[in-house]
Order: sequence, then C-alpha cells, then structure tokens
Amino acid sequence: MAQRTSTHSRATQKRHRSIWINLLTAVLAIVWILPIVWIVLTSFRAEGGAFVQYFVPKSYTFQNYVTLFNNPDFPFLQWFLNTLMVSAVTCVISTLIIIAMAYSLSRLRFKFRGPFLKIALVLNMFPGFMSMIAIYYILKAMNLTQSLVALILVYSSGAALGFYIAKGFFDTIPMALDESAMIDGATKFQIFTKITLPLSKPIVVYTALMAFMAPWMDFIFAKIILGDAIHKYTTAIGLYSMMTKTTQNSLFMTFTAGCVVIAIPITILFIFMQRYYVEGITSGAVKG
Amino acid sequence: MVQIDLEHIYKEYPKSDHYAVMDFDLHIQDKEFIVFVGPSGCGKSTTLRMIAGLEDISKGDLKINGEVVNDLPSKDRDIAMVFQSYALYPHISVYENMAFGLRLRKYSKADIDARVKEAAEILGLTEFLERRPADLSGGQRQRVALGRAIVRDAPIFLMDEPLSNLDAKLRVSMRAEIAKLHQRLNTTTIYVTHDQTEAMTMADRVVVMSVGKIQQVGTPAEIYDHPKNQFVASFIGSPSMNFFNVTYEDGRIHNEKGLNLQVPEGRAKVLENNGYNGKQIVFGIRPEDIHTENSFLQSWPDQVVNAKVVVSELLGATSQLYAQMGDEEFVATVDARDFHNPGEEVAMGFDINKAHFFDVDTTEAI
Amino acid sequence: MMTKFWKKSSAKKSVIPKPISFGELFKKGDSLTKLQYFVMGSNNIAKKQVPKGLFFLGVEILFFYWLVSNGIHAIAMLKTLGTKSQGWKYDKTLGIQIQQAGDNSMLLLLFGIAALLAIVLFIYVYWTNFKSNRKLYTLAKEGHKIPSTMQDIRSLFDEKFHITLMAIPIVGVLAFTVLPLLYMISIAFTSYDHNHLPPKNLFHWVGFTNFGSVINGDISSTFFPVLTWTIVWAVVATATTFFGGILLALLLNAKPLRGKKFWRIIFMITMAVPQFVSLLLMANLFNDSGPINALLLNLGWIKTAIPFLTNGMLAKLTIIVVNMWIGIPVTMLVATGIIQNLPQDQIEAATIDGANTFQIFRKITFPQIVFVMAPALIQQFIGNINNFNVIYLLTGGYPSNSTFYSAGETDLLVTWLYKLTVDSADYNLASVIGILIFILSAVFSLFAYKKTNSYQNGGMA
Repeated sequence: MAQRTSTHSRATQKRHRSIWINLLTAVLAIVWILPIVWIVLTSFRAEGGAFVQYFVPKSYTFQNYVTLFNNPDFPFLQWFLNTLMVSAVTCVISTLIIIAMAYSLSRLRFKFRGPFLKIALVLNMFPGFMSMIAIYYILKAMNLTQSLVALILVYSSGAALGFYIAKGFFDTIPMALDESAMIDGATKFQIFTKITLPLSKPIVVYTALMAFMAPWMDFIFAKIILGDAIHKYTTAIGLYSMMTKTTQNSLFMTFTAGCVVIAIPITILFIFMQRYYVEGITSGAVKG
Repeated sequence: MVQIDLEHIYKEYPKSDHYAVMDFDLHIQDKEFIVFVGPSGCGKSTTLRMIAGLEDISKGDLKINGEVVNDLPSKDRDIAMVFQSYALYPHISVYENMAFGLRLRKYSKADIDARVKEAAEILGLTEFLERRPADLSGGQRQRVALGRAIVRDAPIFLMDEPLSNLDAKLRVSMRAEIAKLHQRLNTTTIYVTHDQTEAMTMADRVVVMSVGKIQQVGTPAEIYDHPKNQFVASFIGSPSMNFFNVTYEDGRIHNEKGLNLQVPEGRAKVLENNGYNGKQIVFGIRPEDIHTENSFLQSWPDQVVNAKVVVSELLGATSQLYAQMGDEEFVATVDARDFHNPGEEVAMGFDINKAHFFDVDTTEAI
Repeated sequence: MMTKFWKKSSAKKSVIPKPISFGELFKKGDSLTKLQYFVMGSNNIAKKQVPKGLFFLGVEILFFYWLVSNGIHAIAMLKTLGTKSQGWKYDKTLGIQIQQAGDNSMLLLLFGIAALLAIVLFIYVYWTNFKSNRKLYTLAKEGHKIPSTMQDIRSLFDEKFHITLMAIPIVGVLAFTVLPLLYMISIAFTSYDHNHLPPKNLFHWVGFTNFGSVINGDISSTFFPVLTWTIVWAVVATATTFFGGILLALLLNAKPLRGKKFWRIIFMITMAVPQFVSLLLMANLFNDSGPINALLLNLGWIKTAIPFLTNGMLAKLTIIVVNMWIGIPVTMLVATGIIQNLPQDQIEAATIDGANTFQIFRKITFPQIVFVMAPALIQQFIGNINNFNVIYLLTGGYPSNSTFYSAGETDLLVTWLYKLTVDSADYNLASVIGILIFILSAVFSLFAYKKTNSYQNGGMA
C-alpha cells in the first residue's frame, strides 16, 4: 500500500517536472525569438516612426521594402552587390590562406613552425583595430582607400592569423595517413590534395562560410576604409548610416526591412553549417 | 636481392637527455624475417621509422644494397609499410587504397588492376574491393593494410605492431597468415612488436631491444636458450624467468631463504673459472623448469626446495603455481595433474641443468 | 632497472653534426663561394642554378638601389621624426614669404618602420643566400650532384611545401598586421595628439611620458574606472553566457522535453542574425521611448520611463543582459555538442553509486564541459575584453561622464581607444591603451593556460 502511493507520487512528480521543463523552454524561446519577430513585423509596419507604443503594427505594407530598393541617397541594392562581391572574393582568398596556413602549421615540420605559432599567439592578443589607423595610411600609400579592393585586402590578410580552428581540425587527422602516403610515393603536395583535403570537407566548408559571412557583419574596418563613399558601402555600414539622429525616425522601417533582407540568407547559411560550427569549435578546443 | 645494413645508428631527439636509439648495428640478409622486440619506449619503432625514412638518422649509416640512403626520402627507398593503426585512407574504396601507391608511381591501368585483384585474391578481399575501410571489420582492415603493401611488390616490408589492434583470437590467426605470406612472397621483412610470442613464432632472427640498445640478436631458439643478459632472459618467455639472488660456494648455490642446490659439475667449473667462488650471483630458472612430479623429486633429491603455494591457476593442460620461499615469490608451470591448492606446502624440484647464471653488477650471463 | 639509461652526458655530448658556420665557410670556400658573400647568387649562377641566382642578385640590386635612394633617408628621419614644420618662411632671393611644405612626422614614422622591416627582410634573404651557398659547398665536398632548377621547383611541392603555402599569407601578415602594430606601438612613445597633428605640426619622441600620464597622471582618473569596468564586464559577461549556455543546453537535452530540434533551431536563429542588426535593434527596444518602456507604461507598472541605456548603472546591467541574449545560444550549441558526446558509463556508474541528478551534473558533466571548453572560454574572455560591437552599438559608451576624458560611463578600454583616435585624435594615448590591453590579455591568458594545462593534465592522469 505504502509502496503504491510512493510510485504514484513519483509518477506525478515526474509529470510535474516534465511540464515545468517544457514550459520553461517555451518561455525562454519566446524571450529569445521576440526581438526577431518584432523586427520582421516592424519591417512591414505602415504607420509611425522609430518609436511606437506597441509591438504589433496596426497596418501592414510592403512599402518599406520598396523604399529600401529605391532610395537614391541610400542605394541598398548597390550595397548588397558590393558586399556580395567583397564576401565572394574574400571567401575564396581567405579560405585558401587559412587552409594553407593551418595545414602547414599542423602537418608539415619545419624549423620556423614553433616560433611562428608563438608569434601568432602574441599578435592575436593585440586589439585588432589598434592598428586600423596605420592600415588606413598604408592603404592610402597604396592609393587604395575608399575602394572595395582595400576591404578585400584587409579581410583576407587578417585571415592568415585565424588558422586555429582549422589547425585543430587537421591535428585530429592521424599522422600515420600522411606517413603511409609518403611511403606510397606521394609528395607533400599530393598528400595535401589527395588525402588531407578530401578528409577535411567539414572544416573547408566551415572556413569558407565564416569568411563569407564576415563582410556582412563587420562595419568598423569598412567604415574607416570607405569613409564617406556611400556607393562603395557594404550593407552593414550602409544600414548603420540610416540610423543617424536625423534619419533614424524616417528610415527606421526601411532599416528593419534591410536587416530582414540580409538576415535571411545568413540565417539559412548558418543553420546549414551549424554542425561544422560545433565540430570546428570543439575540435579546436580539445587540442588547444 | 636486397640487403639492409644498419651501421652504428643513433637517434637523438632535441631537448631529450638520452638517446632514443644508440649504436644500433645490424645486417639484414635477403628474404630474412627480422623481428624487433622490446618493451614500449625501447626504440624499436623509432629504428623502424628511420629505416622507412619517417625519422631522420642522427648518426651512422643506413645502407640498402650497399648504398647510403640516410637522406633519401621514403618514397624513393622502395619499401612498403604496414602501420599499427593500418592508416587506411578512409575516403576511398579498398580497391583505391591498394591502387593509390601504384597510381602515384604511374603504373598502367591494366597492371594496377591485375596487381590489386591478385593481392585481393591472396588475402580473400575480392568481394570487399568496392567498400570503404569504415565498413570493414578489424581483421579485414588489417588485410587491406597488408594488401596495400604487397601490391607494390616492394623488396622490403616494414611492419609496425600490425596485430596489436586485433583481439586475441584474430591476432593468432593473422600471425599465421603473415607467416604464410612471407613464405609465399619471400620478401625481406622487418617486424616490430612488443609481444614476445609473435617474435618467437614468426622470426628468422629476433632483435631484443631495451632503452635504445640492442640487447641480443639471434634465432628464437638462441634467444630462449641462451639469453645474453638478465633483461633478455626476463623479457622472453611467459611467465617470465624466476630470479634469485644467491651465493655460489664450492659447487652449491644457496641463500638465507631456504634455497640450497647442487650445481652440475660443468656449470660449476665455469663459475669457478670466472672467479665467482664465494660471490653473489643471480640464479635464473624458467617456470617450466621447476617440477613437482614425483619422478623428478625422487631422481634429483639434491635439487628440491620446500615452498608454499600462494595462488594457483589451472590453465587446462598446465597449471601455474605462484609459490613463496621465505618472502621470495616465484612461478612454476607444472602439469595440470599436479595442481595444488593455495596454502599447501609443496616440494619443488629445480632442473638445475637448465639454470642461467648472471653477474650481479653487469647483469650479463656467465 | 636492469640496463642503465644511456645518458648523452655519459657518451660525449650530442652526435648530431653541426653545419659549418658563417665565418668558417668563408675561410674554407673557394673563390666563387667567397664571391657569393658579396655578389649574392653569383655562385648559384656559376653552378647552373640560374633563376635562383638571379633572384638573389635581383634582390640585392633592388635593395641597395632603394637603400641609397630612399632607405637611408627614411631611417635617418626616424631619429627626429622631422625637423621642418609647415609654415611661411621668408625667401631672401625672392624677397617674399613662401609656403614651406614641412615634414610629415606620421609618414616619416611609418616609412621609417617600413624601412626597418625591409632591412630585416633583406637580412633574411641574405641568410637564405648564405644557406644556399653552404649547401653548394657541402654537396660538392660530399661529391653529390647539384640539384637543377627543375628539382628545386619540385621540392617546393614536397619537402619545402610549407614555403609555397605560407609565403603569401606571411607577406600579408607583415604588411597588414606587423607593420601597423609596430607603427602603433611606436606612436605610444611620441607626442602625436590633438595638439601635434601632422602635416600641420610635427610630433616627437617623448619616451614613457604617455604611459606616465595614463597610469599616474591626468588621464589616470579616466583610465582606472574604465579598466575596472572592462574587467568587471569581461568576467561577468563571460561567466553569465557560459553558465547560461550550459544550463540552456541541459534544459534542451532534458529527457521530458519535446521537439528538441525545433527549440534548438529557435535559439540558433538568434545567433545567425548579424550582430550589428540585433544590437541596433536592442538599442531601439530599450530606448527611453522604445517599445519596452511604452509597454510598461501602458500596463501602468511604471510611472516614468526606465532609463535602461541612459543611467550609468542601469546601462551596464542592460548591456550584460543583452550580451546574454547574444552569447548564451553560442555556448548552448557547443555545450550541446559536448553533452551529447559525453561517455555514458561514468554517468551510469554514478547513478549506481546513488548520485542524484544535481550531483551528477556538478561532479561529472560540468567538469567535463569545462575541460573541453576551457581554451574556448579563455578566448571568449579575451574577446570580451575587446568586445567593441556590444558597447559601441548599444550605448556608444554613453551616458557621458564629465569627469572622464573622452570616455563615457559604459566605455570599455577598446571603445575608449576608438574614441581617442576618431573623436579626440589623441593617437599616442590610444596606443598606450592598446598596449595596456595587450598586456592585460597576455597576462591573463598566460595565467589561464598554465592553470588549465595543469588542470587538464591532472584531469587526464
């Protein structure tokens, strides 16, 4: 008898726990998703300015998206194409550089390897844009400021020190594979192309996507390098430029529409690559 | 025809205070099956990797067919190697795994096909050629690794603990298979293992190594019957040889734990001639040379000691008695019929004709 | 035990032969070998390694041409950073005032450092030139054949493949990371501030004066509060996202939860939205007249708007909360990966031993997550010290504080650095801050790596 009540109460306890867990998850999910829902709603809002007293719009319109693509002072389409161009080129160059660096530092043995890893660690500890003024003048000396080429140069050369995650991945491929291929008669180049690369698809995809996404996210370098050349802007600084004190109110909904337009492809890319993201971080982390 | 000469080879790693391999001197004949055996960290794998060209040689000459090849890259040494982890390329099929080296060496398509199919035939892999390594069992992967080595027809095979990833039963059958393969192909083979059974059963000659040095080179029988020092004596044979610290005096050896045995005349003479009379020596005897059957005890009453059985293991045909004499433990392998329960006092006869004697300081055999 | 270990010391030092030294080769080499010391590549050309030799020779010619035409001047100017200031000067022959261009200290410094880098690069090429020379010598001595150009090229895809792979990236690092860094570090030791702006004014070397004024002078009253907030922020931000992420991961992996995948994707979407979008959005949401305040007012829960971003203390809290919104899903995703791969046998063993869920988490799951994530955690902490985006986009460092120099209540060292360069043009102070941030990060990560290493080694054993 006593036993039955105890199993009975345990079952209710279990059910209570289950309800609480599901409820808590739902509440948290709402907290996290609400701002995003809000931005999507706002992008379709027909009335009002930047600040309104309510979450759900009173009336809906596509006008914000139309304005977004047809405002000559804020050429969003141009920005979009600029960013696409920069990120496509950066993606190719950065991926090549990162994979090359990571492979060399992980699989090849040469005298400079140890010192280089230490130097890279030190260089990585300086705040990135401490040197941005100097970079600006170097680019100016090369007559490249206010150009997308300069952006590509900066993003790609930054990649050379971002090899850690890819190196962590390469470190997990057994060295015996390389040795076996060496005995089979392969040169280091052949080992790289025929053995290591085919085994490294996840990390190549991850690296490429990260490199592709960077120009959509960064604005501080872009802002310094591009200055006031509005037609060279990337979407990030372009959208940010919509949010000045004078334009904030009139352009807020257009801004949110812009955010939605660029967030959609990035979100899709991200969901697609999240598996690689986790693999990348954990494999790098385990190896330090 | 191939001949490998390792002439006084040293290996030192930077930042290490001792040599990984020291003064390794060995001459390997054509078609020989050489086994390097020793505990882990003894330098056997390092030596093999130096022969393969995967590690630099710090000093000394490695000659293949009389030519110094120290600086020759692996791919130009014309060797094939089987790795402990098999090192199969996971992204390509078994067929492509075996063909990989041939393609790099620009063999014709027909030739590649013929060689791969033949190797698959020999190893019983024909129906698995299109599979990926991940879809194979451990034993099958092991065969693929062997297949990858034999398709090349390389004159030298190097094997680095190839069986240590297999379970006990499979290991025994693969051991026989590798031996068969060697009889069939007659390729000069250098085989590294930490398992003395593998060494004893497969080798033409065994090289016993410890802390970077060769301890002894010889046929399995030589190594077993005439170990050159205490290390070889204890490493080869299972369970290992029992050692007792004893004093030799006028034809007898004894210690204060109750051991007092007559040494046969021939052995006694050798000891005396070497000036060991009245001195400490190490007396070694293999477990299988300790007897409990009555016939032995009666014929050699002078070589009997009394000991207490501590643990006994029945292994089927034989049983192993872990016995204590004073506080000194030793093992005896006896017939299963002579099984004794723990706690029993047993009279044991030491077959002193098969005894080994070692110097206390140098550990060398006397 | 029975055989002794063969120490190197007992067997006369190392057996690896040392290569012939720089001076020795010059003494022993023939005349062509000697010539290579002065005319780079000459020995290579003589030994039929023409392209290689021509490369060395070309580098030498270019270097000396540059040194004479530009380099010497550039390096000489490093000492003073310019002497002629811009302004009007009386020209006697013309009898009128003419404008004098003056030296641009900033460019002189930049070119001077570039020149030093160029010299280092040349020394490296010269060393390669020497090594190639030495190789020719040893090959000849040992009677080996000298490799042809074709073989050299082939080796670039084999034993020297790392050179092929790394040459271009390293040039990029030198030009866009090392050079700017050296330049900015040098600036910290000059008087390059809003009173000394080139090309109008010159600036000069001032030694450690700037460090003095930041740590002990008039800027210190801004520096220490900002530093304190930076450290508090980095610790709190890292800790909240880390623990929050792990708890969320545990929640999303709890057995009774239904639709695990769906919930995970919801949280992932927030990660995918570009940071500047979500941050600008949050700035709007938490604005004094933004929707959150409006909602609370409408509900009648508050009488006046809450100054989420305009009151110093509240703004700091808001920043941390918003950062949790951004950072927790990231940790969650990684922690989920780890939790799903945890070895089950330990947990089962603990259950059999009678441990409850909380004990299992504290003693088994949590230490293992920390173990795997420790390096990532350190990186996150460093990243938070340098977290420019969150502050700049959310509050811009505001609300302002009249006692601070060029910084607001919520400014971190990095955003202050940014303002010092962009708004007040005190480049020297900004550089000092940059160097101090570096020291902060370096000291911390050194300490942390040591700690985690010993922890991890201990954990493994």
